Amino acid sequence: MDFNDETVFEKEVVLNILKEVTEETLHDQTYNQGKVGQWISDICEKSTKKLVALGKPFKYVVTCVIMQKNGAGMHTCSSCFWDNANDGSASYKSPQDWPLNVVTTCFALAI
Amino acid sequence: QQSLTLFSWIPRFKPMQVKEIIQKCLDDKLTGQKYHVDKASKFTRELADAIKQELKELHWDRYKYIVQVVIGEQRGEGVKMGSRCFWDEDTDNQAFATFSNDSLFATAVAYGVYLY
Repeated sequence: MDFNDETVFEKEVVLNILKEVTEETLHDQTYNQGKVGQWISDICEKSTKKLVALGKPFKYVVTCVIMQKNGAGMHTCSSCFWDNANDGSASYKSPQDWPLNVVTTCFALAI
Repeated sequence: QQSLTLFSWIPRFKPMQVKEIIQKCLDDKLTGQKYHVDKASKFTRELADAIKQELKELHWDRYKYIVQVVIGEQRGEGVKMGSRCFWDEDTDNQAFATFSNDSLFATAVAYGVYLY
């Protein structure tokens, strides 16, 4: 398989997309049990659509965790078995001053 | 019809089998543990690596794996996790499992993506 510039994972671009979509959906919202499912769907679907629109030969997995701010701690970690040259991931964490804790992650796997 | 017969011999990612593996890893590692900032950080890393190692040992050809682990303190807060994937439904799949006790909760998801 011939890999050229097109198949390089661009972390900055992806991070920007995740940031935009997360902020657009959750700007100024506080935790709401009824709406949180819808928020996650929206964030993941909009991110996926924008990523696909980049037109690169990648498969994407976008995950989103939303947690109420309660003083509790949370850790996330991921371990991947892939091709380091062409695959990559980007993760966006919500700013400290938000009333919600959000972590949006995107994994991109080259085809 | 053509594409089904072409791919029929590929060993596929089996979600139920992977779910059992993940559940076992979570139960083995976290049963009886309490949430503590440093330990939780260590556990997430070790769990992610352990689950990935078990998946590699299944020797499913040409599969790439992504394992994501979330561990949080149990304080009655609300939390929700979701994902969306852009992939090939025939070959790619995911499995997840959760664990919780009085002091912490943990979720682990594994995605398997086929490389053509």
